[in-house]
Amino acid sequence: MSSRRPPRGEYIETDTGNKVARKATLVGTQNIMLGGKTVIQPDAIIRGDLVRTIHPSSQSGGNAAPQNNTAISIGRYCFLSRNCCLRPPGRLYKGAFTYMPLRMGDHVFIGAGSVVQAASIGSHVHIGAGSVIGEFAIIKDYVRILDGTVVPPNMVIPSFSIVAGQPARVIGEVPEGGHEAFELRDLYKTVGNNPQPAPH
Amino acid sequence: MAPSAQSGPKPPVHFSSSLTIAELAVLTGAHHISIHSESVIHPRARLDSLAGRVTIGRRCVVHERAMIGGSASSGLTSARSSVASPGVLSPTAAVAGSGGEASQSATPQSVTLGDYVTVEVGATIEAGGTAVGDGTVVGVGARVGAGAVVGKHCTLTPQSVVSPGEVVPDFTVVLANGMRRTDRRGMTELKNKGLARQIEVLRRLISSKPAKFA
Repeated sequence: MSSRRPPRGEYIETDTGNKVARKATLVGTQNIMLGGKTVIQPDAIIRGDLVRTIHPSSQSGGNAAPQNNTAISIGRYCFLSRNCCLRPPGRLYKGAFTYMPLRMGDHVFIGAGSVVQAASIGSHVHIGAGSVIGEFAIIKDYVRILDGTVVPPNMVIPSFSIVAGQPARVIGEVPEGGHEAFELRDLYKTVGNNPQPAPH
Repeated sequence: MAPSAQSGPKPPVHFSSSLTIAELAVLTGAHHISIHSESVIHPRARLDSLAGRVTIGRRCVVHERAMIGGSASSGLTSARSSVASPGVLSPTAAVAGSGGEASQSATPQSVTLGDYVTVEVGATIEAGGTAVGDGTVVGVGARVGAGAVVGKHCTLTPQSVVSPGEVVPDFTVVLANGMRRTDRRGMTELKNKGLARQIEVLRRLISSKPAKFA
């Protein structure tokens, strides 16, 4: 209690407010973009080393701009729970295999033990625990995916859907006024090296 | 970087020179782990040869947190409990003991993967004479029970379960709700080619550290 700053907390807190657990596995960190205020809990895996190996511009000269090698970009106020796994999706493109970037918007919650290989996830998305998001799935804004859902590869989930099942189906719609439930600002404050109690 | 997850004894390994194994992969156990040419082991994949041999064929891909081997009771806790069990307290004793035990227990408690097998994120393949045939894909979070024999070119969809001792015929698609059907698309050649391309790319992207496990 006496020292203002404990020498080793469970999390590394960056200047932009990201809270990354020391026990999280981040591979290829130079290719992972965190938007700020993002929480990465212990034992989460993020595969930044699986970068895109074929660039659409590379055929026409390709020396115009430095190539953007971001494998995974994550927006603000995202929350990656324990044991989740984020990896870029991969496929055959013009006869050669390549990984494609995985993009996530703001306020995305990923539940414990979920495996995400989507192409893009919009903002204000809640993915329940134990879910599997197949390769190249596209999830739009304000989507709630219930626990244990298996989203098949290439599925496109429209905005304001509630999705569940194996394989995933749209089972309902986010009700009017149910949008505040997606806000993760309060959740962000409850974790870290000096967590605050959740407000009521 | 996360602390080393190495727990328990270091197993004797037999690696092909063209294999790609990430530094963060976890290999434990007392029996032989052999991995054949051009296979890829992703970080945090777990190979446990405590119960018996682990053999991985050519051009296999083992993804993150996949668990191959380990006792039938529970995948993730087995490695921890094994450390506490008597007889394998020190790595040297375990390796010395394995020489005598191997002749009886290696075959019935082994895990064998054929060629072109993909084991996806978080899948579990239990030890106990378990075999997975060529070209089979074990989906995300799927579970293959002890002693199960999965045929060639099967697809285990995400979170599906093959119960212990079960025999799954070739070309079966196992669905998570327990239903089965047969894959008649005849895509095996194409799938193998795609996997070979994927391995080519992975070999460039993943820095291989086989020396760490030798």
